[in-house]
Amino acid sequence: MRLMELDENINYIVSGLERSGTSMVMQVLLAGGAPVAFNKSRLPDQSNPKGYYELEGGKIINKLMDGTFPLNEYKGKFIKITSYGLKYLPAGDYKIIYSERNIGEILDSMEKMANINDTNREETRESFVKLNSMIKNYIREREDIEVLIVNYNNILSEPSINIKKIYDFLDLADINLEKMIDAVDRELYRQRRN
Amino acid sequence: MAEGKDEKKYTTISIPTPLAEKIKKRIEGTGFTSLSSYVTYVLREVISGMEEESEEVFSKEDEEKVKDRLRALGYLD
Repeated sequence: MRLMELDENINYIVSGLERSGTSMVMQVLLAGGAPVAFNKSRLPDQSNPKGYYELEGGKIINKLMDGTFPLNEYKGKFIKITSYGLKYLPAGDYKIIYSERNIGEILDSMEKMANINDTNREETRESFVKLNSMIKNYIREREDIEVLIVNYNNILSEPSINIKKIYDFLDLADINLEKMIDAVDRELYRQRRN
Repeated sequence: MAEGKDEKKYTTISIPTPLAEKIKKRIEGTGFTSLSSYVTYVLREVISGMEEESEEVFSKEDEEKVKDRLRALGYLD
């Protein structure tokens, strides 16, 4: 598959709370032909059967915190940095696709992945809701960041409409919208809350 | 404060009589038709403000909770 070229001066990021659909957005971008950087430092497992699409074994946040993550090397490619890591983005030029999901589903999925039974679930929920809100406000206010907010639940219920939003945000002639829509895998939607 | 026309929808809360008298004077000539409707309005405003405020502040305690969870998920050392 021929990959298109993104702007080499921009860092492209897929973000959102952990378990909010960031891996699915990475899959969608890759399917459409967008350059996506990841390695096999965290292998696919039951929580993410198609892989995590991450760098640094998912621990990119630590490197952003101490300023050692080489963002320059990843310009012109999409990388995954989850919400908390965005707090540590240095000044630059960024395009961020930020994924949201029903918070109950996120917590269910987190607990399953970490094999924990959260006895303070309501407090945890509140903390992650606040983190999500704080980060969204922060990235919207920064002048060096362009943001698209997408919703995992909406992508799964109406892929065509919602993937088109990503397509329009990227504004690239040679990205394959049909393949992006086809990449939305409803079978992976296992933590649904009705 | 005692209102009890519909026991299923309302409950009774006591406030000091001097405060009730003060409020009655305060609502004279306003659109509030009773002491209860005014106090309900004020309480809703206060609670709504508190909720908005709590949503905005990502405290150190919240940050520690988030970091603990990220460690459990393998996203942070």
